[in-house]
Amino acid sequence: MLKRVLIANRGEIALRVLRACREMGIETVAAYSTPDAEALHVQLATQAVCIGPARAADSYLNQTALLAAAKATGCDGVHPGYGFLSENPDFADACAAAGLAFIGPSGDTIRKAGSKSAARDIMRSAGVPVPPGSNGPVSSVEDALSAAEAVGYPVLLKASAGGGGRGIRRCDGPADLPSAYAEARAEARACFGDDEMYLEKLVLRPRHIEFQILADRQGHVIHLGDRDCSVQRRNQKLIEEAPARCLTPALRGEMGEAAVRAARAVGYEGAGTVEFLLDGDGQHFYFMEINTRIQVEHGITELITGVDLVREQLRVASGLPLELTQEEVRLTGHAMECRVNAEDPEKGFQPCPGKVAFLHFPGGNGVRVDSCLYGGCTLPPYYDSLAAKLMVHAPTRLEAIRKMRRCLEEFALEGFPTNAELSYQILYHPIFVRGGCTTAFLDEHLPELLDFNRRVRESEGQS
Amino acid sequence: MNSIFAKRRSRLLAMKSLRDNYVPGDKLVTCPHCGQESQRKQVAQSLSVCPKCGYHFPVGAYYRLSMVLDPGSFRELHEKYPAGDPLSFPGYREKLESCQRKTGLTEAAVTAVGAIGGRKCVVGVLDNRFLMGSMSAAVGEKITLAIEYAGKNKLPLILFCASGGARMQEGILSLMQMAKTSAALARFSEKGLLYISVLTDPTTGGVTASFASLGDIILAEPGALIGFAGPRVIQQTIGETLPEGFQRAEFQMEHGFVDAVVPRGEMRDALSRLLRLHERGGRP
Repeated sequence: MLKRVLIANRGEIALRVLRACREMGIETVAAYSTPDAEALHVQLATQAVCIGPARAADSYLNQTALLAAAKATGCDGVHPGYGFLSENPDFADACAAAGLAFIGPSGDTIRKAGSKSAARDIMRSAGVPVPPGSNGPVSSVEDALSAAEAVGYPVLLKASAGGGGRGIRRCDGPADLPSAYAEARAEARACFGDDEMYLEKLVLRPRHIEFQILADRQGHVIHLGDRDCSVQRRNQKLIEEAPARCLTPALRGEMGEAAVRAARAVGYEGAGTVEFLLDGDGQHFYFMEINTRIQVEHGITELITGVDLVREQLRVASGLPLELTQEEVRLTGHAMECRVNAEDPEKGFQPCPGKVAFLHFPGGNGVRVDSCLYGGCTLPPYYDSLAAKLMVHAPTRLEAIRKMRRCLEEFALEGFPTNAELSYQILYHPIFVRGGCTTAFLDEHLPELLDFNRRVRESEGQS
Repeated sequence: MNSIFAKRRSRLLAMKSLRDNYVPGDKLVTCPHCGQESQRKQVAQSLSVCPKCGYHFPVGAYYRLSMVLDPGSFRELHEKYPAGDPLSFPGYREKLESCQRKTGLTEAAVTAVGAIGGRKCVVGVLDNRFLMGSMSAAVGEKITLAIEYAGKNKLPLILFCASGGARMQEGILSLMQMAKTSAALARFSEKGLLYISVLTDPTTGGVTASFASLGDIILAEPGALIGFAGPRVIQQTIGETLPEGFQRAEFQMEHGFVDAVVPRGEMRDALSRLLRLHERGGRP
């Protein structure tokens, strides 16, 4: 078993990892940047090391500094969390070379899963359905045009190295393709340093369904059910739920098996997520990508399965087998998560972090809050704006929705605006309540929801 | 500091009330009968009845149950009973699946145990959004199971019929359901139990020729088309113009086929009264 783990991340996930380590008797070393010196995980860790200034490239993305910190503090493992270096194959390799256990899959696996066009080919040969598209990367506009002609518009141009919604452009016809190709390519080069592009058919009005997988070094691969993350804006998820309402048990089984096959195909190890698109009529599903890390929304899977995913990650990284088999996985009830971000929906979701003047988290039966905030702390503006994750667990979906509404009513944060009120409104939206959300839902209904926000604010101003 | 929660609460409540009063999409509904437009909200409040002319819009099975059953008494029977495709009829499986997705039902029939005015009963509903509420082997079986359940537990039975007839895609197997349901009802009747049949728009074909017409009491919704063959077919066959309102609920009542025409708003009270009167099998 690992003895001491360096947490190469910040915010809520650093705290999540720290908590799991504490419960397992593993010592923790928090690697932090200067603005995070007062962060909760830094204060709770066994030991803390400052690894650089605010800019992520100098601190949380600085591999040399992180490895040096791990060596200096005598760590035997590194947990990358999500974002930052979590899906960087070179970092995984560097950790392995330095004799540290990288808590996640090997560099090779990340490379296989990370290059989207390579992953497509692997999945196709493993018998996992992929959306129709170009065979391998497209290297020029002419290539892209002919590939798009073959699969039919609308199509998506994607960066092979892409993620987080960047390096992706939609084209509805041959006219927009050349400019979209140039834009996406430039963006990919700027964001990922790699401008290889590929093309696939756009699935209209899809649902975003993902399966949590767990794999150990002994060759066991299981899935822990699905999550529906269709409520998203520009590929940033807002509300997630598990299990997905739109799946029949038969389809859930089929997709789960496909997810396990996908994980086996890349030689997976640890906790990961296989993302699928489910098309509008809820019949056909397509492999989208494998996320080779713990995800923000892992908590809802923990709630419905009772499995501690970070604990399993740490066990697998220590060389231990999984604690349960596929047959022992039971999905009970319904869980839902709302991400509370420090951003102002009325100002185009502009991030607006600041100092927390007053803070109250909801509680009670079936409620879980993961957050790095505490009263009086300051959320630094340099990193992502996730402030808290509110999660609820109830026997049925409707009860979960009611519980979440109650939680959002109780939740109080003074100091900066958040998207909590927007989430509250979504929880009352008839389409959401009916479970009919596709990924287009939020974009289509945002003006209507924001209009409510504005009217409430105006009436408050008058009174 | 103390007002933080109160302020937040009032803001969220204000948002909720905006949401509650918000009607998405078309605010107006056009009635196919009188052609007049009415507020969607008003139509919903009057149980999907046109406020201008009294036209009864078709409603879904679960909504129908929620209109007549006491709140909280609903318990569905055999909800997982699967639809079949015994003849592997071309295109039928796809049709079934698209209907299942659209309506959220597994088959055209929903059966449940519930209470009306505090009196326990078994209620079955055919949903005409599901392949015109046509009777398949699964529908027949679900209805029969509901009849048998009511018989076993000595409960009154109410069936809301709305059907285009037997389901063609299942051929003779769906026709056989006529005999099966009729036989089950005969056994039910021998036990001296009450069966109320409520005919809604449209009740035709094999359903009329079997359980819809076998009620001890037959009620109908205003304007419902009730018959075996439809008016167009009859007109073509006999080559005569049919009288106005032919085969409508009111016409059928005048001719003794239907006992009473009950508007949707009064259905619950009417059923409750009938159940009370027949509480002890009609004995005083």
